[in-house]
Amino acid sequence: MFQYNFMQNAFMIAILISILCPLIGMFLVLKRYSMMGDTLAHASLAGVAVGLMSHVNPILGAFLLTSFFGVVIERLRRHFKNYAELILVVILSLSVGIAITLISSGAVHANVDSFLFGSILTVTSQDFYLVSALSLISLFIISQLYHSLMFMIFDEEGALIAGINVKWINYVFSILVAATISISIQIVGILVISSLIALPIATALQLQRGFKPTLLYGILFSFIDIVSGIFLSYWINAAPGGVIALVSVFLLLGVLTFQKIVCHAGPILKLAK
Amino acid sequence: MLQIKNLSFSYGNTPYILNNLNFELSDGKYISILGENGSGKSTLIKLILGLLTPTKGTIQNTFQQTAYVSQRFESLNKQFPITVKEVLTCYQKARHLPGSNLIAESLALVNMQEYADALIGTLSGGQFQKIFIARAVMGNPDLLVLDEPSNGIDIKSQNEIYQLIRSLNREKHITVICVEHNLKAAIRNSHLLYHMSNGIGHMCNPKNYINEYLMENTGVEEYVSI
Repeated sequence: MFQYNFMQNAFMIAILISILCPLIGMFLVLKRYSMMGDTLAHASLAGVAVGLMSHVNPILGAFLLTSFFGVVIERLRRHFKNYAELILVVILSLSVGIAITLISSGAVHANVDSFLFGSILTVTSQDFYLVSALSLISLFIISQLYHSLMFMIFDEEGALIAGINVKWINYVFSILVAATISISIQIVGILVISSLIALPIATALQLQRGFKPTLLYGILFSFIDIVSGIFLSYWINAAPGGVIALVSVFLLLGVLTFQKIVCHAGPILKLAK
Repeated sequence: MLQIKNLSFSYGNTPYILNNLNFELSDGKYISILGENGSGKSTLIKLILGLLTPTKGTIQNTFQQTAYVSQRFESLNKQFPITVKEVLTCYQKARHLPGSNLIAESLALVNMQEYADALIGTLSGGQFQKIFIARAVMGNPDLLVLDEPSNGIDIKSQNEIYQLIRSLNREKHITVICVEHNLKAAIRNSHLLYHMSNGIGHMCNPKNYINEYLMENTGVEEYVSI
């Protein structure tokens, strides 16, 4: 299957996604803000529609509009401190409203199904370069902010008092979430992108390790989810998004079961010795 | 030095939470802020830390570096995947503090070297508080602010924590501001007590405070040896 150019591109993008999604997901899950991924994924559909309508690369359209909505969410989150989840509902409604109106009115002369469910057939070389550039920039920024982000999600008040520019970093992080979603939608699909952000980290958290090992396990699980999802979807001729989501859930259930067995078998084995 | 002049604070158009506070804290002192719940202690701390802006009056803070130990153990997510070493590492790196041995030295200061790889959620309240004190003093602060450091902690750990805070004040000359409910610890360790009630505060020495406290809460005025 690697004789096809689109498959090589798709596989390279999958590797980048498998690093970036859990990296962003780790901070979102621990911030208890996983639903932001879902909201911005829906916002990206509006970006794709606007991009297709105005003949701009849809991934770039998704990145620009999702970044805008990400910044708006962060701004409103500060304003409505005690009702943060309400903001997500508002942005989700607004973005889905824009997307459905544009698509259903016939203003968009293209099929958006591949962005909803994910597709490896539609990955062009231009997409590959755009996604690679966005991924590398995002990875560089995260590496620079890694310790500040870690400090902030563990103890935001402490970070503020220690002189960390919490407000600015939160805005940058919102744009990073937007970039990750824009990069991932073509392969994974808008409908399941949030599962790829949250599930590998949820799986890694079951292992009860420190921050760095949890993140590394998250990347490993994400890689397994995406690569096996792409291979399986190729063989059964299905959209990769759905298969990747199913693999993610089964891997989580597998690790949960394994942990339960280890917890129960551990004391019995000790007694037997 | 910390100088508070005619400080008043209210949230928007609500009544004043703090009303015309005045006090001065010179370098190297240990002050405990006492008072009933809702008396405005936490608000005063937030103002000193710069998290809130005074409605009236001024706070002049000439300390170079302020460190804060919050009262977080109860609200901590016990399943947060972070080790003691990682808590200290991210603090050091995020603040760009130099020193390759800084984390080991900080853990040695609170006698917690063997817990470097322990997950933060597995620590007791006392151990957690020690780690947060170790983190706070990593950047050599000249002002240490603590919010009820003995809350929810057993007596043995309380003694260890107060010994540690006392030695940071007396030996390393770090100025300490401590919000307290632990009257015994406040009287034993502090140079000064600041008593707050209904947003009004006044400075007193430890012996007088006992009499004031007894008068206010029981109506009895007699000296009790603590």
